[in-house]
Amino acid sequence: MGDFKEVTAGNKPFKKAYVAIMLWFVGRAIQAAARVDKDVKKEFEKLPEDFTFCLGVLPKGPYMIVGKNEKGRVKYLGWKPGGKRIDLDMKIKGIEAAILMFTFQESTTVATARDRMIVDGEVPYACAIVRVLDIGEVYLLPKFIARLAVKRYPVWSFSRKYIGRVRIYFRSILGY
Amino acid sequence: MYLPEYYEFCCRVKIIAGHDALEKIPEALEQLHAGRPLIITDKGVSAAGLANIVTEAIKDGVTIGAITDDVPQDSSLKIVNQLAGMYRDNDCDSIIAVGGGSVMDTAKGVNIVVSENADDLMKFSGAGALKKALKPLVVIPTTSGTGSEVTLVAVVKDHERHLKMAFVSYFLLPNVAILDSRMTLTLPPVITAATAMDAMAHAVEAYTGLAKNPMSDANAIAAISLISDNLLKVIKNPSDREGRLALANGATLAGAAFSNSMVGVVHTLGHATGSVCGVPHGVCMSILLPYGLEYNMHKNAHFTGELLLPLAGVEVYAGTPKHLRAEGTVAYIRKMNRDIHDATDGGHARFFEEVRDRDGRRMVPREKLEDIARAALDDGSIFYNPEECDYEDFLMIIKAAWEGAPLDRELIKKG
Repeated sequence: MGDFKEVTAGNKPFKKAYVAIMLWFVGRAIQAAARVDKDVKKEFEKLPEDFTFCLGVLPKGPYMIVGKNEKGRVKYLGWKPGGKRIDLDMKIKGIEAAILMFTFQESTTVATARDRMIVDGEVPYACAIVRVLDIGEVYLLPKFIARLAVKRYPVWSFSRKYIGRVRIYFRSILGY
Repeated sequence: MYLPEYYEFCCRVKIIAGHDALEKIPEALEQLHAGRPLIITDKGVSAAGLANIVTEAIKDGVTIGAITDDVPQDSSLKIVNQLAGMYRDNDCDSIIAVGGGSVMDTAKGVNIVVSENADDLMKFSGAGALKKALKPLVVIPTTSGTGSEVTLVAVVKDHERHLKMAFVSYFLLPNVAILDSRMTLTLPPVITAATAMDAMAHAVEAYTGLAKNPMSDANAIAAISLISDNLLKVIKNPSDREGRLALANGATLAGAAFSNSMVGVVHTLGHATGSVCGVPHGVCMSILLPYGLEYNMHKNAHFTGELLLPLAGVEVYAGTPKHLRAEGTVAYIRKMNRDIHDATDGGHARFFEEVRDRDGRRMVPREKLEDIARAALDDGSIFYNPEECDYEDFLMIIKAAWEGAPLDRELIKKG
């Protein structure tokens, strides 16, 4: 056999950057929703005191880490899982699968059904976090896109949907 | 035929099925370069004489390293570690599991410990912890229901820490599954019915769920056909060897289908009812199956309708207009439950209010329905259900299934 230059898969920096921005924003939005939305608040209250979860893309990220601090407040904990104790680890199998999900070409449900994700951790935690993510998507996205992301678009009051949306966007941008 | 853009399917278990399949075990072990198995079973299987049938069938072809019937009703970490010691002390080189889900889960747990030369099974919990092939494992199901013989999961309880740990790996798939009619011939009709309807629920939910794919569909359709054609016959004539073998095949086919396509709301509520009220899983499945189909019908009526063919046969299918086939499927499953109820002198419950324990006490008190709906929120099988399900939805379904009334479709929130 002759000498061949080893061809490695491209890094896909633009796709990674897009997913990283989405994860960053979703992480901060979850932090905000935990203060604004009663259902998200309830879901986190049922989770253990120091619960931490990671949503990321295999093999090398990007990631998003969200957890409860010692006071029970939900915080976006950044994009580096290294060294952190993770109770629930949700990994999308590759950047292409992540792009399908984060450009809403494929709903979270369909992605799960198509084995795009690996979940490591207690099942009840995963159920709670999926519900939180669904609520987050309804707040962040216009209805015609959110309908692609969730199984059933919820019927919410005007104040919950629109005032909540403004508050969550505002808090997500400012990071509190 | 529905073809998803992407799917994964894996079932690499060798199936040996027949009225004399047990006699093929020595040959199967030899092909796996093994010949000194540890036989793991439980006291119920042992008392029914099934372990003896196995040892008689294989004793001339292999050297049995050791045999134990110490597996409790729920697989436990303690017994897994004990049996791993027994495996090592007796220089075994393979495992034969004879029994139901608990025995198979225990055998898979033992196999992890002995293959990894480990001292603590818990190091390997979760997905992806196993990196290499395990010792040869032959499984012989003694009920026709769970499909554990072709699944890649084991659940082991740590009673001391009150934890239920799941182990998930393709390496947990057994090497060989033996389906032999002698293993289920003495199964009482009520248990035969519940376990077979468990398998039916596996196949139906695999076919109508979000993760369906052509490979699982083929398995599911064959499973439904075999179970539908044979269940009532076997209940009326428990010594029907052909029927028993057909049900065993149906359960394995359904296992291959659902372990690749997963299940939905029927299992979500079934698991919750089992954990809150202790109702046997198969009983929950048979009661809930028509309700699950009704709940999802606005999303997948075309798939549900297709099941009328393997369920009821070509004449009924052809004679039913296309738009009525999904309703026909639900009606047919309800009729199956009623027919089984009659054939078992009321032993097979049609709705939860009818479910009684051995002492005749009601197992699902009405005041527990809220607890069941709450518990269902923590079950991961709902991810694969076509329609969303929240607490109110679960409560609506379980209330109807308790009363035995069809679902009020007007109340279903459609996504």
